[in-house]
Amino acid sequence: MDGSIEFTMGLSQGIAWPWPIAVYLFFAGISGGALSVALFIRFYKKQTENTPFLKAASLVSLVTIALGMLCLVIDLTNPLFFWRILVFYNLNSVMSVGVLVLNAYIPLVALVTLFAFEEEIKACKPLHFLLPIIDKLRVIRTPSEKLVLVLAMSVCAYTGFLISALIRFPIINTSVLPALFVASGLSAGAAAAKMLAVSVFKEDLHSKDMHTLHSLEWPVMAAEALFLFMIIMSLATGNAGAQSAFAAFHSGTWAYVFWLGVVGMGFVGPLLLNFATGKAFSHSAKAFFLSGACAVVGMMCLRLFIIYAGQLNAI
Amino acid sequence: MSENLERRRFLKCLGASSLILAPLGCSSVKEKEDINKTHYVMVFDQNKCVGCGECKEACNKANHLPVGKSRLLMEEQSSAVEGQPCPHCGKTNDCGCQRKFVRVSCQQCKNAPCVTVCPTGAAHRDEKTGIVTMDAAKCAGCKYCIGACPYDARFINKETDVADNCDFCLHSKLAIGELPACVQQCRYDALIFGDANDPTSYVSKLLAVKDSVRIKPGFGTEPSLRYIPIVKLGV
Ligand code: SF4
Ligand code: SF4
Repeated sequence: MDGSIEFTMGLSQGIAWPWPIAVYLFFAGISGGALSVALFIRFYKKQTENTPFLKAASLVSLVTIALGMLCLVIDLTNPLFFWRILVFYNLNSVMSVGVLVLNAYIPLVALVTLFAFEEEIKACKPLHFLLPIIDKLRVIRTPSEKLVLVLAMSVCAYTGFLISALIRFPIINTSVLPALFVASGLSAGAAAAKMLAVSVFKEDLHSKDMHTLHSLEWPVMAAEALFLFMIIMSLATGNAGAQSAFAAFHSGTWAYVFWLGVVGMGFVGPLLLNFATGKAFSHSAKAFFLSGACAVVGMMCLRLFIIYAGQLNAI
Repeated sequence: MSENLERRRFLKCLGASSLILAPLGCSSVKEKEDINKTHYVMVFDQNKCVGCGECKEACNKANHLPVGKSRLLMEEQSSAVEGQPCPHCGKTNDCGCQRKFVRVSCQQCKNAPCVTVCPTGAAHRDEKTGIVTMDAAKCAGCKYCIGACPYDARFINKETDVADNCDFCLHSKLAIGELPACVQQCRYDALIFGDANDPTSYVSKLLAVKDSVRIKPGFGTEPSLRYIPIVKLGV
């Protein structure tokens, strides 16, 4: 940074991508993560029935991706220009590729949700007009579930690729970011879906699916922690720009968000709730919901930290 | 025939794999340079700039920008070290000696991240001149280009709600065969504009004899703006 000419000012006057983008990344991650985990379990265990967890996950997935799209649109300088992204494409742009993925993903999530809720639709008279549609499309249920599993993982990864193309921000421009976003999407998505499965769809706290989820959770969380550690180390030991961005982890408001929100809530919280308390408490519904909420809040804090601390530390 | 097929297959594979790989290395998609084509460059001579800011006003007027918005900025810098007495006048603060200015605007990158990331192709390279400019009718206002520009040289034009950048007055002055407004306005000849690929142009002669630098070359965007810095000898 000792160039013979430098400047520090810019024309954009602040943060190009504010909080709605962080919320969008959060929702897209939950959506992709929840559905991936549910479908993974479905295929792995060769389930054919509509399990409470599948119902919960597909519903979570559909609602969060819709909310995510809403965030994306309200962040445009003029939301009425939204159609332009859908009409014009530039395949060099990660965002454009993402739009193509989402164009296929969103209808497929709706379809998968429709299949998962067949019994509920049968039980509800006003929705009976959907039944012939379900019957007609039943043949493509398995292929579309396979396809949407791939797309769901792509959506998680895409949110990482999307922002890692912003080359002047050392915290954001890391190649590990997409992997980190996949891992945190999976863990928060699974947490959100299992909370819904237990509270609304009457899943038993100690059912087989919940056990599978539990054994999946910790390795995914470990991977997430590892990816975060990789990013932090590469910043701390990197070039001058990376080192100056490392300051985000130990000074300023966003350092609190990182240590209290991401590390405290996201990692330490669930660990303490599950392993540091008595067996009676750690197996209770209270602990279950608390640690699920911790995972979701931790993920939101991670997205906020990356977006804000990332953009505030430019080179 | 078979050679043709082979080539077709090769190109197809190339196309397909670039679809997969492009997002991975998005910011480093290289554009080929053809030396027979025009390559407009701008040179800013820091030794001559007095910081009057008239280039900025001229730009605003020529490009009909909303009040208070501009496609370029002037940064005032001082080589005095804060808290230490000025080597010239001995005052500790606000001495006003050794001021220098840096004119900040779109660097017209040859390898422009804003063009690569723009999902709609609104931020694009003008085919005839190679200048990075905007198609306002396509811009969705997603601000991806603003985040991606390493020089923070883009902004949202509040009147049109779309992104904007300095395009060497492509649609205003160049279109009527004139030099960019800032270049015309500068009374101190601190700005020089022309085709670097034309050996007879004044810029290429100037660049051949003067040392010039590009800002933040490490990003690999290959800016077309050159800066001739004040080089202080001795002290
Ligand atoms: S300086 Fe920024 S706006 Fe200009 S061409 Fe380069 S990336 Fe694009
Ligand atoms: S703000 Fe406009 S020009 Fe910039 S990337 Fe988005 S669509 Fe393209």
